[in-house]
Amino acid sequence: MAAVNHSATEETKKRHKHEGPQKHIVAYIMSLVLTLIAFAAVIAGEVNTSFIIFILLMMAGLQVFVQMGFWMHMKDKGHGFATISILGGIVIAFTMIIMAEYWVWW
Amino acid sequence: MSAHSHVEGQLPHEPEKATLEGRNKILGFWLFLGAEVVLFGTLFSAFLALRDKVGDGNPTADELFNLSTVAIATFILLTSSLTSVFATQALHAGKKNAMIGWLIVTVLFGLAFLGLEIYEFAEYVHEGHGFTTSAFSSSFYTLVGFHGAHVAFGVLWIGLIIGQVLKKGLTVVTAPKVYVSGLYWHFIDVVWVFIFTVVYLMGKVG
Repeated sequence: MAAVNHSATEETKKRHKHEGPQKHIVAYIMSLVLTLIAFAAVIAGEVNTSFIIFILLMMAGLQVFVQMGFWMHMKDKGHGFATISILGGIVIAFTMIIMAEYWVWW
Repeated sequence: MSAHSHVEGQLPHEPEKATLEGRNKILGFWLFLGAEVVLFGTLFSAFLALRDKVGDGNPTADELFNLSTVAIATFILLTSSLTSVFATQALHAGKKNAMIGWLIVTVLFGLAFLGLEIYEFAEYVHEGHGFTTSAFSSSFYTLVGFHGAHVAFGVLWIGLIIGQVLKKGLTVVTAPKVYVSGLYWHFIDVVWVFIFTVVYLMGKVG
């Protein structure tokens, strides 16, 4: 949220400025577009496979940024522990995935 | 909790963070989500290791998956994430009825997603893709089914929260529950982004 530094008196008196729905609708449209690109890349399907997979993972990664940043408010202040917690999870999960992809059937 | 003295309509700004208990609930929930990332990460790693292990004569990912069903499911869940964020905004604006309305819409989208998934799984079983058919099918049902179970739990949970808010009103006690359930719902949507990418689209690419 943009304006969080209200004093205690302001807190009770003033009507707060609430964020409008606009940026969430923008995030929604961005997610839809990223999803469409991913589906289109697969349906078009002529280019080589590893390039398509690269595109797919890029689109998924971007969409996670959009959704966690805007919808889960991770881009806002006071989300240090939230970020540490999620990143910690990602590090372990990513290690598992690398292990499964490149090591299990080595 | 002095915040109890707030009359309805005079809730503090961001009522979910007005009490220490509320802030701790949100922090604890982020730690839980970190653990959920690990949980789904391990299921994804199992799926990635086993997705080509189809066995003789069993349906492959490419033969099985129908992209239009997946696209509809994706659209439903993405839209439900937007309505969930509208519920959180209504919470911040102290608009109880609007919030409940958006929560109900979110739950309905969740139910639609679940219905589609059940239909999809039934179709797969009909095509000879049961849980024990192949290593691919087992890891597929475990991963996608676990996500579906999360959606089912979310529907139940948000449904109960709607009931509680109707009974007790929007207070500093109920607000953190609404906020945290919104985080959960977005997280479910984020997991689905990886499921439609890794399981379905990459399954089609090969």
